[in-house]
Amino acid sequence: MAAPADFLQKPIITYTAPPTFIASPNWHKVLATISAQLPLRNIHWKPVSQTTLRTIQELDVNLVPFESLRDELTSQVPVTLLEKPLLHIFVFHCEDSDVEAYRNLHKRFIKDWQMSVSNRKNQDWLILHIIRPDPSKMPTGKLFAIKNSVLDKLRTDFNLDKREHCVQLNWNIGNDNPQVWAEFVNKLKEGLLYAFDLAISQRQEEVKRSENQQSMPGWNFCTFFILKESLASSFEGMNLLEEALVPYDELEALFQRVSREKNMSWFGNLIQPEHNDDSQPLLSVNKKKYREMILANSISVFDFRIYLLSRQCQLLAKMGLIHEATTKVGFFLGTLGKRLRDVEASLPPLFIEAWAYSSALSTVEQCNAWVKEYKIDTSKPSTNAGKAELLDIARSQLDIIGIEASHLPPIPPFTSSTSWTSRLSSVAKLSFSNETLNVAVGNRQAFNELYVALTNRAIDLYAKSGRRKFALKLHGTLAAFECNRGNLSAALNTFISLPAHYSPYLWNSLEGFMLSRAVHTHEQLDKPQDTEWVHIVLAFLKSYVDHRGEEMLMYDVDATEYVARLVDSLRSSVEQLEAAQTPLDLPHPDHPALTVSVADSANLAETRDGSYLEATITNHLPVTFPTEEINVSLSGRESEKVKFNASISDGLPPGHSHFTLYCKTSAPGTFLLESSEIRSSHLVLSTNYRKAFSKPSSRSTTLIRIPSDPLALDVRISQSSRIVLGSPQSLMAVLSTGRNQVRKAIVRLSSPSATFRCREACLEEGMFPTNIGVSFEATKDGVTLEDIPDGSEISFMAPHSDASALTAMKVNIEVDYVTVQEPDVSRTARFSRVLITTLPLSVNVEDFFRGTRLISKFTVSTTSHQHIRISDARLDLPNDGVEGVTVERSSSKRRIITVTPHQPANFLFALNSTKGPVRESLNLSIKYRMLREEVESVIQKEVGKLLEDYPDNLKQKIVLISKLVDALESDAGWVDMYGITGELLVPDLHVEDGDLAMAWTMARKRLAEHRHPESPEGSWREIQIPVDVPFMNIVAAARLRVVSTPFASASSSGELPSLYAGQPISADLLIHTTFHWGLSPSEHQKQYLLRFNIEEMVREWLVSGPKRGDFIATDNAMHIVPITLIALHHGEFLLPKITVSALPISGTLTMGSLAVPSIETYQVHGAEKVLILPRGGRSTFVISMGPG
Amino acid sequence: MPPSLKLNAVAFVSPQNHPILIRTFNNQDEHAIKYHYIAHTSLDVIEERGEFSIRRIICVQLIFSVAAAGKAFECYLGLLFTMEDVAVYGYITPLKVKIILALALSDAVVKDAEIITIFKALHMAYYSSVSNPFLKLETVGDSSSDQATILAVGSPKWKLFRRRVDDINWAVGNLNSLT
Repeated sequence: MAAPADFLQKPIITYTAPPTFIASPNWHKVLATISAQLPLRNIHWKPVSQTTLRTIQELDVNLVPFESLRDELTSQVPVTLLEKPLLHIFVFHCEDSDVEAYRNLHKRFIKDWQMSVSNRKNQDWLILHIIRPDPSKMPTGKLFAIKNSVLDKLRTDFNLDKREHCVQLNWNIGNDNPQVWAEFVNKLKEGLLYAFDLAISQRQEEVKRSENQQSMPGWNFCTFFILKESLASSFEGMNLLEEALVPYDELEALFQRVSREKNMSWFGNLIQPEHNDDSQPLLSVNKKKYREMILANSISVFDFRIYLLSRQCQLLAKMGLIHEATTKVGFFLGTLGKRLRDVEASLPPLFIEAWAYSSALSTVEQCNAWVKEYKIDTSKPSTNAGKAELLDIARSQLDIIGIEASHLPPIPPFTSSTSWTSRLSSVAKLSFSNETLNVAVGNRQAFNELYVALTNRAIDLYAKSGRRKFALKLHGTLAAFECNRGNLSAALNTFISLPAHYSPYLWNSLEGFMLSRAVHTHEQLDKPQDTEWVHIVLAFLKSYVDHRGEEMLMYDVDATEYVARLVDSLRSSVEQLEAAQTPLDLPHPDHPALTVSVADSANLAETRDGSYLEATITNHLPVTFPTEEINVSLSGRESEKVKFNASISDGLPPGHSHFTLYCKTSAPGTFLLESSEIRSSHLVLSTNYRKAFSKPSSRSTTLIRIPSDPLALDVRISQSSRIVLGSPQSLMAVLSTGRNQVRKAIVRLSSPSATFRCREACLEEGMFPTNIGVSFEATKDGVTLEDIPDGSEISFMAPHSDASALTAMKVNIEVDYVTVQEPDVSRTARFSRVLITTLPLSVNVEDFFRGTRLISKFTVSTTSHQHIRISDARLDLPNDGVEGVTVERSSSKRRIITVTPHQPANFLFALNSTKGPVRESLNLSIKYRMLREEVESVIQKEVGKLLEDYPDNLKQKIVLISKLVDALESDAGWVDMYGITGELLVPDLHVEDGDLAMAWTMARKRLAEHRHPESPEGSWREIQIPVDVPFMNIVAAARLRVVSTPFASASSSGELPSLYAGQPISADLLIHTTFHWGLSPSEHQKQYLLRFNIEEMVREWLVSGPKRGDFIATDNAMHIVPITLIALHHGEFLLPKITVSALPISGTLTMGSLAVPSIETYQVHGAEKVLILPRGGRSTFVISMGPG
Repeated sequence: MPPSLKLNAVAFVSPQNHPILIRTFNNQDEHAIKYHYIAHTSLDVIEERGEFSIRRIICVQLIFSVAAAGKAFECYLGLLFTMEDVAVYGYITPLKVKIILALALSDAVVKDAEIITIFKALHMAYYSSVSNPFLKLETVGDSSSDQATILAVGSPKWKLFRRRVDDINWAVGNLNSLT
């Protein structure tokens, strides 16, 4: 599009030369060279009023002959300052030294020219003096020559105002050398700016003066506009675009002020609609004769503003700021459209929309043209964005036109463009000057295509410019449009895909809107309400809830009713799915519509096993949500799960509703709320609270305490009460039924570290009288018990694989049971117990051989800190006895012994074997129990007796017992007293409950009166330890027998004579050997070489005779050695000890070394002492009397 | 003369582009979605501008100290775009909370200074509301991010922020009709 000439007025420079020069062929060369210096570049201009320096990158200049200037009449209409030339150039050729020629030929011309030029206002002039110095005629006398150069002459003649107007140019050096021309070009720029400065400041003065006269009568805005506009066009001509924009902006502001003051007399009507006003290209400045209309004061405001806008946009475009221009147009279309509404009645129907539509589109075209024309860099995203915005505006005009032409329904999003409702009551004939629109109005198909094409174009541009969110919005609009024209599946696809773009940033409103559209479309499509439908509805409800129902963006429906309908259809579709036997549940995690919160502790059911948990379900929907079941699952420390649930018949009403959830089994402890599930037919809305850890803004974890139920079915395990070392291990499980009358219970045991052989399980012998009628059946999977009465305990053993490597074994117990009270409820209780596998006591044995007897000393000590009570220890022969072997206990008195960590217990047994060694192993069986067990049983018994009168008070009994045990645990002061007397002094605890307090006091009293029974009672544990009887090759009995003294008369009575110190005493050393305990029966025939040695006792005895000697021992033989002893002092002391050791058997080698037979020697005289009397005679005592 | 400035909607958007509060002052509820759209789409434009302002900050930081850069940062983003019958203005607080103003288009001059004043008032309203220490009550446990706190301001539970915004709207409407 070509702008009118006056706006593109370039600065004019005139040239002239002496006629002879013009006529010469050289002239053309000169002129061409001068033209080649243009356009001028890098001009630095400093505005008079401002301090900053402006740079004109490039300035195109009109070079015209001076003669072409016409002295036209100065028009009254101020036009651009560049209309008049800014600079005049006079070119002449003359040798520098040729002053004569100058003076005669040129000076006159120049003078004339200068006269005519300097009369002109605000114009500068320049004399270009071209020299062609001939090297051969170079002047010799330099000093002299300089003074007389033509240039000097020129300067003196014409430089009147101290400014340099003369430039000399050496043509010879080469006309294409920029340095040669630099001075001339600089002068050119200088001159131009000088003149421009003068002119512009003069014009600015004028403008200012006029502006100041605004309030005076006669001032005319239009005139002022033209005046001021001339400034802008002058700047534009000088390529000072930013400067050029300023007057327009100021004019716009002034116009706004004027229009606010309603002083519109200078204008025509607001609009004088011409028939094609609505389709004219908006930014064309010459589509109408605007300036003339302004001058004539007949321009309409509409036209005026368009003119102003298009000039501004043009300048912006020249500056490469397409985006600014588009924003300006967008804003303008909006604001002017608004203004036009005031006179809407006088306009053709939908004129404004059509105008905005065409204008927006034409602006986009214009922008494209500008981009091409000014070579604007379009890589900036905002350029495309601006165009897209305009297309968007055009599209929204189509919305309105579409509604008016009944192509579109008057519903959002189509009505969102304006806030007014349909104005055209009667269907007026819509006709526009824009043919496209006309066709579109008449033909729905054409309209649709137009709409879609336009929208897609905008989406494309938005996408190019990176404005994803705008594009999304248009996608939404497009989907709505598709929906409207019946292309429902395409619309549905878009609606389903769009929420995902909004949800990550929590734009719930938009997400919800999209979902609501999706729901709507889905309904219209009449698609089967399948899983997808369920998901859409749930997503919609989610966003509805996120909005808390307040800002939900829905239209033409009552929200509550709508939601109710959705929930109903959700339910029915879920039911349909169920009917279609979709095998899987439809889990939907973390739906916010229903939230579950639970109390922090559960209550016991009291009358039956299990506990109740209060839960509050909040239904955030405004309608009842159909629900059948609520499940809450808790997880404990061992990751065991506890499930609470409740069935609901009539759904969840809006708001809070309280429910009591029931858990069938009792599992005491502290639990973590893990998940909740709300079940509606097939649909499961679940919430996992554990995962919520990672989420920000998550609630803290909920801990729930479940109290322990003393009356619930329980299983305890302990070590078997009958432990036989060397045979398979088993554990004892005690099933206590508590309040339950159990019809059937299946107990399953498992352990990570051992396997159970349940098939071999058996009831504990003697524990349970068979006449109660409990049936016990051990199968591979577990132990089945039937018909167990309440309040009973059933113990049974379950053998398991070896676990002796472990100190403790974890055992998981599962009990499935059905009670008589609730035959329909099948419960599964899980217990996790730890079995200590180490034995509580250890036994050491020490053996002493005495001839045919063997004395065994068993030392029983505890392996832990616990006290053990031992009621009996027996050493038993194998079942059928051993011939000739008898066992004697040390004492027959049965007394309970307590083994403490400090004090082990000893048990002595004597084994009499008449027939040599005993090959069968014996059994040491110890009956024991832990002190704790005993005390517990005592308490149990006493409390049982105490509460005999209240048979129903099972719970109180259990509570009381546990309280007593707690109290005893807290203080160990009672232990000693109990050990001695059996009285249990229970430390006093504070007991609140009245009934219980009484029972507590009585129980304490009873326990304090308790005494150990005469004979052990209650249940005892038994441990059987196999004991092997040791072998001994030789058992030697050594003896020193004092025979007599040489001084004593031989006495027949056998009485020992008196023995005196220093006297020799005759004695016999007797060594009796027996092979009774030898390995084999042939032992008796053997002989062994033995060595005896009398131990020295140098303080008491002198031994004379064979103090040491070897002898051959045979079975049951006596070796006698006579010796003499001399007692060294008087007193009563032991005889020397004799050691007997076996020498290696010659010839027999065992394990590479000489075999030494085993031997045990005992001193027969070990306990004998002899009395040595002092020798007779005097004793002198010296007593000091002191210094006397 | 009708007031030259009429607020149609105000939107506060968190630094993470999550909506904090979108308040529409039109009675017609069915148009609320439009302002949600406007708030959402404005983010694109703010982002576009943001690239420039970040560059500007860097330049400023090179020249001045960092402290000065904060002051030099221009919060007001000006007219973002014109859509249908509203003009949309943007403002970004130093902590990157975006405030978006949808102004009813009218054929009167809109002075930037006036808009900035409104924005500053809105910023202040937001600032004083988010300073409420009780907001953090609900978001105990993740003090590391203030995001939840910021979002909580706009939740219907805390009415004061809405009231403050409404007051500003009232003031804008009335001041204009008075002058």
